[in-house]
Amino acid sequence: MISLRNVTLERRTREEFDDDLKSRALSLFTGRDRRPRRKRVLDDVSLEIEDGAKVGLIGPNGAGKSTILKVISSVLTPTSGTVDVRGRVAPLLELGAGFNPELSVVDNVALYGVLLGLDRRTIDARLEAILHFAELEEYRRYPVRALSSGMTARLGFAIATDADADILLVDEALAVGDESFRAKSRARIDALWHAHRTVVIVSHDLALVRATCERAVWIDRGRIMASGPPGEVVDNYVRSVDQAATLALARARNGAGR
Amino acid sequence: MFRRGDTLDAGPSARRAQRSRVVTQRWALVDDRLVDVVGVLFSQNIKIRYRGSVLGIVWSALNPLVMATVYSAVFGRTFAPYYGGSVVLYGCTVFIGLSLVGFFVASTSECSTILVQNGGLINKVRVPLEAFPLATIAAHAFQLIAGALPIVVVISLVVNHDPLRVLLLVIPLAALLMLTAGVGILVSAAGVFFRDVPHLYELATFLLWVTSPVFYPVAIVPHPLVHVLIFNPLFVILRSALDIVIAPVLPAPWLPMLGFAEGALALAVGIAAFAAMRPRFMDHL
Repeated sequence: MISLRNVTLERRTREEFDDDLKSRALSLFTGRDRRPRRKRVLDDVSLEIEDGAKVGLIGPNGAGKSTILKVISSVLTPTSGTVDVRGRVAPLLELGAGFNPELSVVDNVALYGVLLGLDRRTIDARLEAILHFAELEEYRRYPVRALSSGMTARLGFAIATDADADILLVDEALAVGDESFRAKSRARIDALWHAHRTVVIVSHDLALVRATCERAVWIDRGRIMASGPPGEVVDNYVRSVDQAATLALARARNGAGR
Repeated sequence: MFRRGDTLDAGPSARRAQRSRVVTQRWALVDDRLVDVVGVLFSQNIKIRYRGSVLGIVWSALNPLVMATVYSAVFGRTFAPYYGGSVVLYGCTVFIGLSLVGFFVASTSECSTILVQNGGLINKVRVPLEAFPLATIAAHAFQLIAGALPIVVVISLVVNHDPLRVLLLVIPLAALLMLTAGVGILVSAAGVFFRDVPHLYELATFLLWVTSPVFYPVAIVPHPLVHVLIFNPLFVILRSALDIVIAPVLPAPWLPMLGFAEGALALAVGIAAFAAMRPRFMDHL
């Protein structure tokens, strides 16, 4: 169960380059030190996700979709509001994020598994199953840097979905591997679905959200614009994007006509 | 449809949430997963360093061994009178100094970049952040204990024929570990906020290194300066280690104790500073 209540998150913007001690000391000395500007990344977001629900987060780039995932996985702590997440969360890391390229596939399974909150014994017990699913049994002693990007993604997918987490967070990483693996991963997502696991997907693939999610949440500028049946929400989102585009086009034409 | 703060599946779950306790996600001083994460990062670190060969451990002792030989060749004759006329004893002193100070410098320098390096990962999974510097220090400590320490023990036994001294060596060693851990996590936190910390820290470690009696006898340091050097915890720790291993009579207990206290203080300050800075890390990673 995931429950965000009135979650507001402000982050320091990174536009200023005072990230070094020397220039910071200098700016203090010359009295030009400014308080860093803060940007509201999430604005009063309230979201309840039931156990077993499959929810798609949609919206433009920079809207705060991935930030919501980070709040759920408690990577980020909200400035105000409460977060209540029941159950173990497994984020499906994007390509290679949890891997050390110099280590062997087997060592990386251990590393990634511990990062996802499994204990060593569980990981050792599941190792074979993970390698089998990722179709990497012959590569177990290879360093991960020797794998193709598709293989790496397969490995990440296999571990994250085998982690037996209650909540799986997916950030644009479903299109993994070749056709046959894609079918397999789709099957596994379905299995997770039927096993009553909660899945939260951030995706720009609106067709995917429409087809696989029970609910869609449209997020823009850190706010929830709409949530509900995916067909409806996706349609509204697309319509608003189209309207904005038409408006911009009309404005550009007018500007050119003058 | 366009209500702000719309909730999903309001109903049974909303009622359940009301009954539920509010989970505040505050960073605990010791995360329950800390041991597991440090363990896996530690073995990862060791594996990359050694690539499955024993040669790695030999190499970690070989480096100060070669350096000590070079120092002996250059300064040996000059400084031998301070070591009972023995160039070999001078060389042994340098070896101990290089091993201990080298451990401190190498591990804390690595700490200054470790969190930024792992920023991508830290942004994806919740992971106890202090695990990164601690695992780095543990890997270096393993190297020190498996590589150089046996040689130090042999030196001690050959010079003094006294196993008690080997036991006493635990005190400066523990002090060094605490000092390194404290400074390491402090520097790792500072490295998050200021990207030039690694460069500035290089200068700081050079100062610590020169003001520690690694390649010169303490006796040549002008008298008023010795009182300043005592503020360098590495000076205190190294000197008490050298006294225990090499000096003909056992040193007064206050020096090893001072080193131990300085180490414990550094550790406490490091942990407190890390905990204080922790909430603002994510804005910089």
